[in-house]
Amino acid sequence: MTDATLPTQVQTAAINRARLRNKRNAADFRLRAYGITAISIAVGLLGILLFTLVLGGYSAFVQTHIRVDFPISAEYVDPADPAEGNWRAVVSDGVGALLPSDSPAQARQIAQILTNNTQFFVRNAVVADPSVIGGTLTLDIPAADIFDQLNKGNIDRNTPEANRRVTDQQIEWFDSLQEQGRVSTPFNWGLFFNADSRFPELAGLSGAITGSFYALLVCFLISFPVGIAAATYLEEFAPKNRWTDLIEVNINNLAAVPSIVFGLLGLAVFLQIFGLPRSAPLVGGLVLALMTLPTIIIVTRNALKAVPPSIREAAYGMGASPQQVILHHVLPLSLPGILTGTIIGLAQALGETAPLLLIGMNAFITSPPGGVLEASTALPTQIYIWADSPERGFVSRTSAGILVLMGFLLLMNAVAIFLRQRLERRW
Amino acid sequence: MNAMTENKGSTLVAKPDQVVIPPTVAMKGEDVSVFYGAKQALFGVNLEIERNRVTSLIGPSGCGKSTFLRSLNRMNDTIDICRVTGRITLDGEDIYDKNLDVVELRARVGMVFQKPNPFPKSIFENVAYGPKIHGMVSTKAETEEIVVSSLRKAGLFEEVKDRLNEPGTGLSGGQQQRLCIARAIATKPEVLLMDEPCSALDPIATAIIEELIDELRENFTIVIVTHSMQQAARVSQKTAFFHLGKLIEEGVTEDIFTNPVNKQTQDYIMGRIG
Repeated sequence: MTDATLPTQVQTAAINRARLRNKRNAADFRLRAYGITAISIAVGLLGILLFTLVLGGYSAFVQTHIRVDFPISAEYVDPADPAEGNWRAVVSDGVGALLPSDSPAQARQIAQILTNNTQFFVRNAVVADPSVIGGTLTLDIPAADIFDQLNKGNIDRNTPEANRRVTDQQIEWFDSLQEQGRVSTPFNWGLFFNADSRFPELAGLSGAITGSFYALLVCFLISFPVGIAAATYLEEFAPKNRWTDLIEVNINNLAAVPSIVFGLLGLAVFLQIFGLPRSAPLVGGLVLALMTLPTIIIVTRNALKAVPPSIREAAYGMGASPQQVILHHVLPLSLPGILTGTIIGLAQALGETAPLLLIGMNAFITSPPGGVLEASTALPTQIYIWADSPERGFVSRTSAGILVLMGFLLLMNAVAIFLRQRLERRW
Repeated sequence: MNAMTENKGSTLVAKPDQVVIPPTVAMKGEDVSVFYGAKQALFGVNLEIERNRVTSLIGPSGCGKSTFLRSLNRMNDTIDICRVTGRITLDGEDIYDKNLDVVELRARVGMVFQKPNPFPKSIFENVAYGPKIHGMVSTKAETEEIVVSSLRKAGLFEEVKDRLNEPGTGLSGGQQQRLCIARAIATKPEVLLMDEPCSALDPIATAIIEELIDELRENFTIVIVTHSMQQAARVSQKTAFFHLGKLIEEGVTEDIFTNPVNKQTQDYIMGRIG
């Protein structure tokens, strides 16, 4: 570079160029480094979140069960009317055969190894198959929460007895059951098929999933058509004047209103004025629809704007009426964008907690709703309830609930991506 | 273009110059002025569009030739701030009359745009769209017939007959423009407006379209806006020269190019302005 034969000006110019080049390259490198750092931080945080959730929640996906042989004697259960049997007696017979006991008090303690609702499991099994009356019924019964925790290793046996939730005697019984080969930990289907319960070993998400489904259905049925109609009118027909400007500003502001405000609105309007039932998915869906509406209007308008004007011009030039231009050309072309935006809006609504708390969807409800007017919880509010519960079993269930919710969000986003690619690939 | 000969029978395909048709007026603009908001784009234009002839509108950019063309089928209506005064008639009917349906007008006055803009649908659907929305066809056979004949007239049928169900957007630029012409003539318009139909095309595709325009004028009245004076000279029988929103000179194409009366026309044709 520094060839002595070259004139000085040329040399200086070359040095200046080299300095500029190095500066430019360094700036490029820095910019790239900032980006990579930012992404690393985001990915790292997400990783930590997922890691802690899985760590805390994975144990809720399995449940300790104890195999019990229940002698079903005709003395307690009338074959003509099995539902009305003396199930307490049947259960204490079965439990009595598990472990030897010295006193009725001890026998009651042994019975507490099983979940509180054991009699209902036995009753349902017998009602389903009355032929076992007179014989023996073998069932895997969920273990009570503390024994579930003991089995999963969440209770340290080395802690002094006084600081532990299970007594030495209970540990001994449990170990004895384990030796008998009666303890199993299968996949916890109850997490998906049971509704909420006071007992963690029985609590599941089916009520919350059903409630969320109904609420989202109501939300979709209202916000999708209304949102598209509003956006289409504003984008295609509305004159550009002060009123439409005002409406536009308000819609954009509405999208930024905190969700709890929508909850208050729902409480004041839907519950107080319209007298709709409390805790109902219908009201939840209405409130979520109010929240999702601005999002859908904004994405729909953007999707409509993205349709090339040449298509509109071509259609108008053919003598298509405004309605034909919109229905035949503009809407079909913007549909992928609209659907993606709608699904992302619904995914947001699925995770929304605050407005549902205000309209009472955080009630304790032990059966899935049969319709949009029945009281129900939703996934996020169920997580909120569980997070608030003292029992150890609910800690892992809270994480598991969050994982299930995130699973649904992932599914919805995947559907959005699939639909967009599928519809756009047509041409 | 061969298809054309087959359809019509060879006796009818005489050279345009040899056929003596008394020129009748298809469209007429009287004192047409167009405003975009406060800005006036066109100043009192009087122009007659003769039937079965090609009229070309020439002039430098921004001279109002496209504006005039677009006011012939009221495409300016789609622009909120646009206002048209004066009178434009189609077969003696005022097209800006309140009782006239703009949808019907555009079926009678078709348009081909500067950039080929086929719908993102199949070739078949592109051509069938106009007849369908205007209720010109009721059966599948009728639709097919009109699609095939329109594609033939646009000289595109032989090239696309095996892929009518493929997207129109997959064709080359020149083919797309001919597809747009087929789409426009499928509604059997009386007048066909073309807004610089060749400006986005290469010379070969341009030559094909120019040849097509010459054939189309047998059945249609054509108004074409063009930047290319050679093109105006090649395809049109009548030429109108616009400058700064005013119609400066109009007349038989040959006269305009060889013996322009107006100084501005002369300057433009000689390449001194524009």
